[in-house]
Amino acid sequence: MNQKCKRFTRTAGISAATLLMLSACGDPPEEPNNSNETEATAGNTEENTNEESENMENNGNEENGENNDSQAAGEWEPENDVEYIAPADAGGGWDTLIRTTARVIDEEELAPVNFAPQNIPGSGGAIGWAEVASHDGEAQPLFAASPPIILVPLTETSEYDHTDFTPVANLITDYSIVLVQPDSEFESINDVFEAIEEDPGSISIGGGSAAGSMDHISIAGAAAEYGLDASGVNYVPFSGGGEAMTNLLGGHVDVVVTGVGESTGQVDSGELRPIAYSSEEPIESLEEAGGQTFIDQGIDYTFDIWRGIMGPPNMPEEAVAYYEEMYAEMLETESWQEQTEELGWIDNYQSSEEFEEFLDDQFDLFENVLSEVGLID
Amino acid sequence: MNAWENLLYGFEVALQPEALMFVFIGVLAGTVIGMLPGLGPISALALMIPVTYGMDPAIGIILMAGVYYGAIFGGSTSSILLNAPGVAGTVATSFDGYPLSKQGKAGKALAIAAYASFIGGTVSVIGLMLIAPLLGRVAVTFGPAEYFALMVFGLTAVVSLSEKSLIKGLIAAVFGVMVSLMGMDLQTGTARYTFGNINLLDGVDFLIVALGIFALGEVFVLLKNRTGASKQNPLGSLKLTRQEVRAIAPPIGRSSVLGFFTGVLPGAGATIGSFLGYSMEKRIAKDGDTFGKGNIKGVAAPEAANNAASGGSFVPLLTLGVPGSGTTAVLLGALLVMGVTPGPLMLEDRPDVFWGVVASMYIGNIILLLLNLPLIPLISKILNTPRAMLLSLIVVFCMIGVYGLSFNPFDLMLVLIFGLIGFAMRMYGFPAAPLILAMILGAIMEENMRRSLQISQGDWMIFIDKPISFTLLILAAVSLLLPLFIRLIKWVKKK
Repeated sequence: MNQKCKRFTRTAGISAATLLMLSACGDPPEEPNNSNETEATAGNTEENTNEESENMENNGNEENGENNDSQAAGEWEPENDVEYIAPADAGGGWDTLIRTTARVIDEEELAPVNFAPQNIPGSGGAIGWAEVASHDGEAQPLFAASPPIILVPLTETSEYDHTDFTPVANLITDYSIVLVQPDSEFESINDVFEAIEEDPGSISIGGGSAAGSMDHISIAGAAAEYGLDASGVNYVPFSGGGEAMTNLLGGHVDVVVTGVGESTGQVDSGELRPIAYSSEEPIESLEEAGGQTFIDQGIDYTFDIWRGIMGPPNMPEEAVAYYEEMYAEMLETESWQEQTEELGWIDNYQSSEEFEEFLDDQFDLFENVLSEVGLID
Repeated sequence: MNAWENLLYGFEVALQPEALMFVFIGVLAGTVIGMLPGLGPISALALMIPVTYGMDPAIGIILMAGVYYGAIFGGSTSSILLNAPGVAGTVATSFDGYPLSKQGKAGKALAIAAYASFIGGTVSVIGLMLIAPLLGRVAVTFGPAEYFALMVFGLTAVVSLSEKSLIKGLIAAVFGVMVSLMGMDLQTGTARYTFGNINLLDGVDFLIVALGIFALGEVFVLLKNRTGASKQNPLGSLKLTRQEVRAIAPPIGRSSVLGFFTGVLPGAGATIGSFLGYSMEKRIAKDGDTFGKGNIKGVAAPEAANNAASGGSFVPLLTLGVPGSGTTAVLLGALLVMGVTPGPLMLEDRPDVFWGVVASMYIGNIILLLLNLPLIPLISKILNTPRAMLLSLIVVFCMIGVYGLSFNPFDLMLVLIFGLIGFAMRMYGFPAAPLILAMILGAIMEENMRRSLQISQGDWMIFIDKPISFTLLILAAVSLLLPLFIRLIKWVKKK
């Protein structure tokens, strides 16, 4: 039940179409253009008029050739609207990234075409990835990627892994955070690890994703760095950071590990207390709440929950160059700054090449931790 | 400020022309989307996100909340008329709603659904207003052990939903649990019952099963009995007699309260609320054996419960900042984008958002009632559609709805398979309700059982040591054994 509900923007088209069928008594409406473009159909529903008018503006600009920004990027330019995929449901991290960037690109007129967000949920991303992989050698679709693109294939549930896709640009990062109840006996991450050392398994650590995925890796990696046997970490998976934090609030688990961004509400209100987080440099708001980085507590460990954009296998080089330039530009815009501030994102730009190297490093790291925890051989 | 002043302040926000306009648009869009099988509130809300960009957060959430409870409100229509649930929360409504409609009392069923929805919705708003901050605290006392016990208790309803043969009911229930376990196991990442098929890794969506078993199964049965009931079902009167009002009033009241509290629990929500309401009324009612054959209480109870639950699910979102369901997770995302972080601080920082949305729910519920009642005769025209067309239409709607879940053609095959299973079940007298109930509760039960054992490191006493979980398990045992005892006592007396 919980996370199984799906769907998205294409629904716009479908619901519009179905509506028309329902109101069969009325005049036969004009068939919306039969292209796969959601926006075209969605424009028929009144809720979407905003979007439609934005589209029109954009097209207008294109005709007038006002798009100087994109011309600086080189000769190649996208000709068709860009299919822009979040391989997950609406509302999650990938989805937010896709929608936010699509909007900034549109508002700041960074590209001569529209970026049309689309959700292809399923199998932790694998269904969406398979769709992208079928566009070998093409310049799109682009999709949002984060550690699961490495983790999911490692646990052998996706036929494609990160090396099958073309890294376009790494954009932002979030960090991992370790939380306890305000009156918890644990004052530092070392207290937690000491307790685990004394009695492996005794401390229940909740996280917002399945065993062997992000939250688990991040705490197990820290434990390993501290010198613990990572299999002594009693990780309890919940189906989201929110659910994990609810269980911490109710005292059902001792510790929760989740993303800094997800925990803002609870940390700011003092309902939950941070004891460690995984960035390299201290973050002011977390320091105020009593948290410290792993490094400041003597554990040489960082963990990035990075989010970037990738494209199909063997993407044309000019297209990669165009998009990485466009994203670099996007990060400088004011509307982007506004958005990141509200969402608590931290810019973490890497060009295609840097991103590729980074991904390989991440792969090694995750593989190590996963085999240490005993989830892969 | 006390609740009353807060509410007045909320109405100040909700009565702005802009807010009024958007609550109207929201509930209207919600009702329509809810009516279409398969297109649930999540897709509706997701559609709204781009619309709310740049809106005042209070107005944005008023709009989105309207879509949500509007969808639950409207979802009963296709359950009743076509046996094809519009949203998951209205599956239980079809148990009695569809038989009523076959008996030519569709108008009455729809009217009852509208009244019950209205009352359920209103009760939940009152609850939200008066005790939300308090309840947030209570909701967190439900941990994995408590959820497990609650689901066990819920599953005992299989007995009362089993109709004639208990064995067949249990077989259906076990099959339901098995289906619910399909997909990747959260605890270990292992794939179960997926037959190596990547499309099954996320398991089977509940609506696919519901639409297959109910709607398609029914279509197949109708096709087979072509010569049978080929007359068209009249709409019937919308009016309720005094006795009927008296009959449905207590179930609506009870189910509203039950639904609200179910909604408050993160992870439970409208679907479970409606099932709990339905099975509770079936057990309480003197005429419990007519449930499933067109008892008006069987429409009133789940409709009151699911609307109350949709209001209740705002409690954890607004007071704790944690989403209790997929739908509220989308709402949370939308709020964050608008620059509002829900949570305990929101009541102080953005009272306009909290009280505005609460006040707008009163208005929205009234609009829904006024909107839906006059529409009933119009919508029920669908029943006058020639049979062949209507059946094809149902199939088309099911396919569209299922495809809309994740745009995966594979799901279309799945729904057909479940349609055939539903057909076979009907042919051989297996009840569908236990399967559906077990499918909803099974996965949550299993997940939480293993979570509890993970926390307790394998010690089963965790279920006994926790008072709430212990109480619920005792209740479950009682509800299973009590009928046996009663029978035993009667038997002894006879002797």
